[in-house]
Amino acid sequence: MIPAEGTAAPPAAGRSLAGRDITGLLFAAEMYGVQLDQLAAVLDVSGPRARAIAGRWRRQRQVESARLGPGAPWLWLTRAGLASCGLPYMYAPPALSRLAHIRAVAAVRLALESVDGYQAAGGYWRSERRLRARLGGRVGLRDHLPDGEVHWPDAAPVAWSGECWAIEAELTPKTVRRTTAIMQELLSRTGDYGCPAADVLVPGRPPRHARVLYLCSPAARQTVTRARAALAGADGRVEIRALPPGAAMEPDVRPAAGRPPARPHRTSEPGISEDGKGLDGIA
Amino acid sequence: MISRYVSLLAVRSAARGALRLIRLAAAAALILVAAPVSLVAAGSATGAWLRGWPPSRLYRAALCCLPMVVVWLAATALAAGSWRSVATAPYLAWLAMWHRAAAGSYPDAAAIIAPAAIPLGLLAGGLAWSYRIRSMETGSGGLSPGSAVAFDLRQWRHQVRSARAMIAAPGALPLTTQNGAIVAGAVIRAIGHQAGRIAEIPYPRMRSHQVVIGTTGTGKTTLLLRLWAGFMATALRRHVSGHGYPPLLVVLDCKGGSDARRIADRARRVLRAAGARATAIWPDEASLSLWTLPPRQLTTTLLDLIEHGTGAAAYYADVMEAVVALAVGAPCGPPASAADFLARLDPGWLSLAYAAGEHGSDLALVRSAARQLGDIALRFRTLFRRLGSGLDGPGGFGDADAWYCILEGTAEISVAEGQARALVDLLASYAAGQPDGSGQAREILLAVDEFSAVSRRLPIWQLYERARSLGLAVQVSAQSWQGLAADDDERYRIAASADGGIWLLRTPYPEPVTGLAGTRKLVDTSRRLLGVPVWGHQGTSRIRQAPVADPALIRSLDVGQVAYIYRGGVTFVQVKRLIGGPAALPGPTVLAGTDGLADPAEMAAPPTSAPRRPLPDVSELLDEAFGPEAGP
Repeated sequence: MIPAEGTAAPPAAGRSLAGRDITGLLFAAEMYGVQLDQLAAVLDVSGPRARAIAGRWRRQRQVESARLGPGAPWLWLTRAGLASCGLPYMYAPPALSRLAHIRAVAAVRLALESVDGYQAAGGYWRSERRLRARLGGRVGLRDHLPDGEVHWPDAAPVAWSGECWAIEAELTPKTVRRTTAIMQELLSRTGDYGCPAADVLVPGRPPRHARVLYLCSPAARQTVTRARAALAGADGRVEIRALPPGAAMEPDVRPAAGRPPARPHRTSEPGISEDGKGLDGIA
Repeated sequence: MISRYVSLLAVRSAARGALRLIRLAAAAALILVAAPVSLVAAGSATGAWLRGWPPSRLYRAALCCLPMVVVWLAATALAAGSWRSVATAPYLAWLAMWHRAAAGSYPDAAAIIAPAAIPLGLLAGGLAWSYRIRSMETGSGGLSPGSAVAFDLRQWRHQVRSARAMIAAPGALPLTTQNGAIVAGAVIRAIGHQAGRIAEIPYPRMRSHQVVIGTTGTGKTTLLLRLWAGFMATALRRHVSGHGYPPLLVVLDCKGGSDARRIADRARRVLRAAGARATAIWPDEASLSLWTLPPRQLTTTLLDLIEHGTGAAAYYADVMEAVVALAVGAPCGPPASAADFLARLDPGWLSLAYAAGEHGSDLALVRSAARQLGDIALRFRTLFRRLGSGLDGPGGFGDADAWYCILEGTAEISVAEGQARALVDLLASYAAGQPDGSGQAREILLAVDEFSAVSRRLPIWQLYERARSLGLAVQVSAQSWQGLAADDDERYRIAASADGGIWLLRTPYPEPVTGLAGTRKLVDTSRRLLGVPVWGHQGTSRIRQAPVADPALIRSLDVGQVAYIYRGGVTFVQVKRLIGGPAALPGPTVLAGTDGLADPAEMAAPPTSAPRRPLPDVSELLDEAFGPEAGP
């Protein structure tokens, strides 16, 4: 993490947040952290404007930021930021080993939320961080957590209303056996995350996840497809698609000078300028 | 002369009386002057008596008050502006307390003196309680020598009441502690062990041999389930944190019957709650494959499953061994199933199998044994029919986190004996195969219940030795001392090698085990009888040896109470019952597949028997968000 430079930040008490700020902060909190180009997409603003907004959050001590890896700087919520959002998460910067995965999941969420059908149906993304928080101290035994869940309200004007989907972003291939086991676990689970252990898998109850949506990199696609084939009767409940463009963490992904696309898959290049700078006040 | 002597006696008696009165008055004055300390001391000693606490608990409570004392003294010094005021602070607080009390402001008086009075009172109460216990233990306290017995019984009742209250409190006793110890329950009384409120068993003891003895209805199953669940939870946590291998629990229930199935269902539920994903119940819901054994071991196991005679029948046994070795070690590989093996017990098949290559001596063996092959095949066909399909695969110990194996040792002893032999061989092979990379390394706990009922083919000491050499922990449980093994030598060998401790529930004959716990030195005091029913306080004391674990107390243990004997000490524990989930969870009913994977279709199917509506097509939405699905 790079320490702040310049003038001292104003006290956090004097801040006022607009609706757009709240959306961005909640997105960053739920996804562990977010890169600046993805934040621009979330806020539907240009790259420089997103940088300015992030700089303001930083001065308000809502977020911290740093250039953790290739591409645009990352920002994540501070303890104060999490508290002001009312989210009971542990403060932690995005883990370096998970940067690529976090970016991929955020890209999946952005791509899904940009679809008109999703917005019309009022779909709700339940992040892995929220699921992990529900598990509390019991995390770590052998439960596999999906990268997210999408809940479709019962009254949604879509055929799949009332369903809950598990989302898995696969960047690197696991073994077929392990992938099959994860699919089986997700498809057979009956209880919510954090429920009593006896409710996790109860005969007679409908499964929690109606289907599992796998978003795969080209490298992982074959493994996931083979694992789905091994499921035999349940393979119809596993959907496989490619990760949206912009999901990969590549060095040439930088904050945009222009307005970012609302739907990342429709552009082959994010069109982000190469200024090489971080947020305001950050080297 | 006589009158002067009588006067002297009277004066001496009066002086003694006066001295006693002065001492009493001084004590009363001291109690009155230090009223706050006296009140706390009386309250804490009474509380300890009522709850059956050891004095050390009061000492610890006094120690816990030290931060309060330090803060109080520091605040006093800061307020006075001098550290010298610390020395006079208790005295000034005492004076202020009396002044406030005289003014009728009792809460203020209590608040002023509390920082000094509470720790001192707890300390004084602990000392008084310790003195009382010690005087009763040595027999010097109480109105009569029988008071010590009544005191001990009363204290036992108080201690049991406290322990029961503790296990009844929701969340008071976790399954495991932060440092990985397994919590068995609440401590009733500890002798020779560190006294605490929670009975914690360090994980390494679960990786050592243990013995559990208790008659039916004493809470043995409850204790075992808790130990198994604790083992599973701790081992999984250690594995996740990178400190150990994943656990494998194998239970051999050698009684069988419907009771075994009920316990198996309970075990599955509590193990599930402890983190085990799959508990296989053999042979009802899962199977193991005898044919995965290495050829040499398979030959030995198959031969051991068949009853052999002695004398002239030894010739027949040799022929059988040669034939089985030929069938198993055929050039085309070992048999894959019972049917495959039986098909090989045929002169034609064996001749054909050994026809190619340099197998002249084997072919000669086949020719000489051809006349007996039919009989041998008949014997094995009968054996496999009796053993059932539980050992004919597919499946292996690596497929589940826990295996509950039910052997019908009561209804079909000979079958259960064969099954026990085969299961132990399979487990030994699985454990021995770990280091060479043929399987994932596991931390294995083998729990055998009433194994002596089926141990004719495999003596239990042999099981112990094999387990020790393979790094397995063995937990032997029985309803009585006699049920541990066939003879006393074996019983003592088992009990003496229980490095992880002995769990003793109520049993009518605990003496051999309590004898292993050893003795401790006690002070025994005789008192002079002044006249019924008055005993004086003069007498003599001597050191005597008393058993650490009192057999009479163990004979009178209630349901759920157990004595844990370990390294010359004993801890009496009130076991906390584990409550499993409300419904049995589906186990790996089909542990199919040559790779050990459960049948994917079976596992992936939703756990509901109700027909589901077909899932609606979501391609349009997904295509719009992520593009169309392409081939791999």
